Amino acid sequence: MSAIITVENVGKKYRLRHQKTETYATLRDTIVRGAKNVFSFNKVDKPTVEEFWALKNVNFEINQGDRIGIIGRNGAGKSTLLKILSRVVHPTEGRITMEGKIASLLEVGTGFHPELSGRENIYLNGVILGMTRKEIQKKFDEIVAFSEIDKFLDTPVKRYSSGMFVRLAFSVAVHMEPDILIVDEVLAVGDAQFQKKSAAKMESISKDEGRTILFVSHNMPAMEKLCPTSIYLEHGTVKKIGKTEEIVNEYLIATNAQ
Amino acid sequence: MSKKRIVIESGKESGAYWRDLWSYRELLYYLTLRDILIRYKQTFLGIAWSAFRPLLTIMVFTVVFGKIAHLPDNGAPYAIMVCCAILPWQFFSNALSDASNSLVNNSEILTKVYFPRMIFPISAISISLVDFAISLGILCLLMLFYGFVPAWTILLLPLFLAVAFTTALGAGFFIASLNVRFRDFKFIIPFLLQLGLFISPIGFSSSVVPEKWKLVYYLNPMAGVIDGFRWAVLGNDAKLFIPGICMSVGISLIILALGISFFRKVEREFVDII
Repeated sequence: MSAIITVENVGKKYRLRHQKTETYATLRDTIVRGAKNVFSFNKVDKPTVEEFWALKNVNFEINQGDRIGIIGRNGAGKSTLLKILSRVVHPTEGRITMEGKIASLLEVGTGFHPELSGRENIYLNGVILGMTRKEIQKKFDEIVAFSEIDKFLDTPVKRYSSGMFVRLAFSVAVHMEPDILIVDEVLAVGDAQFQKKSAAKMESISKDEGRTILFVSHNMPAMEKLCPTSIYLEHGTVKKIGKTEEIVNEYLIATNAQ
Repeated sequence: MSKKRIVIESGKESGAYWRDLWSYRELLYYLTLRDILIRYKQTFLGIAWSAFRPLLTIMVFTVVFGKIAHLPDNGAPYAIMVCCAILPWQFFSNALSDASNSLVNNSEILTKVYFPRMIFPISAISISLVDFAISLGILCLLMLFYGFVPAWTILLLPLFLAVAFTTALGAGFFIASLNVRFRDFKFIIPFLLQLGLFISPIGFSSSVVPEKWKLVYYLNPMAGVIDGFRWAVLGNDAKLFIPGICMSVGISLIILALGISFFRKVEREFVDII
């Protein structure tokens, strides 16, 4: 079986500015600084730029139908990796090949608008995630049934409780039929019963329909249950790839040791 | 379904960009629909505001410039002459300012999901197009009121609208991407549009521009668009200055080409700096 995702030497560099400027410069700042630098010989205000590699030399392959967990501490590069695979962030170096349709859930309810009704948001969110209108129409009843909000379908989402909101958003996402599903820490939503339901749904997506899932979570039990294999990221590099149980143990030992 | 292969390589752009853009046309539709639906939520007049805003401007111009200042009207009712200019101008002005803010306003989606970023400015301009279509009703009403029968040339109106669209799109791509880094454009654009309202031939006819400056005057693509609108609606009473129109069309195409190439060049960095 050939790999569905191939990641070769991927790296992402960010520039950290060590200066008291904001993250986005204003035109004025840029002009003033430029002018100062022209007129002064010792380049006073030159910002010091430090390079920071959020990811470096990342290599791995994933086969179709795999469920892969990504484990690592905050700042290990998990989200950056998922963002690169989702094509949101462009890598500084390296190459990635993916076969098939990708859906990424980096956040629950991306593009949901509070003023629109649940029904309208299902369509809006669906197309944002890459579904076509026909697909949404076909899946509409299933989405509504899964989210258990049928009574409030025509209520503006701003009047939803946070649990209802999250259930609706999650069920839109799991009902799209991507070849590759990228999920960042969204299982921790809803009540215990809904969490169980969504975990089961994710498992069936992969087991019964042969879809590939990449999953990031700090919830180790959920991880062990859902993903047989895991990638351990540390300081932006792959430390180990192997059985989730072993990696979780290693990760917990490493965390407790500190 | 045939398997689509996606290759991401650092420093290289995706080869299927335009095909991607096409495949996301439903998203364009829903984003546009979303903005139309939410804009007039909890307003009493609702979508009628789309027609109201230009109507009020036309009334002010007619009273101030037509009745008080007695600017020449070239034989046609002054209100219709102003209307022919206000409609395309407001389309352009709304389109450009919305497109400029479209990336920043949608930063939440931009940083979480991939699709061709051009969707945002295009969607912003489509909304203005809907507004324009609604406000065309004013023109019809004015023509009924004055018993004015338009010439056959009114069928060419979409051509001039296309020039305005092209200009707004090109400039919108350019400024939207600049706005990601320099939020100053949020303040610069309203000012420039205010300026444009006075230098474009809206309250007056472009026939007052001295002969030797004429070609220079049409460097502003909207001058050509407005002249075209007037010519199309009013017929032969308003003479069309062909070299000027060609100049405006040419400039608008150049703006579009530059806008697209700039946008594509910086598009990949949006997420890192927004």
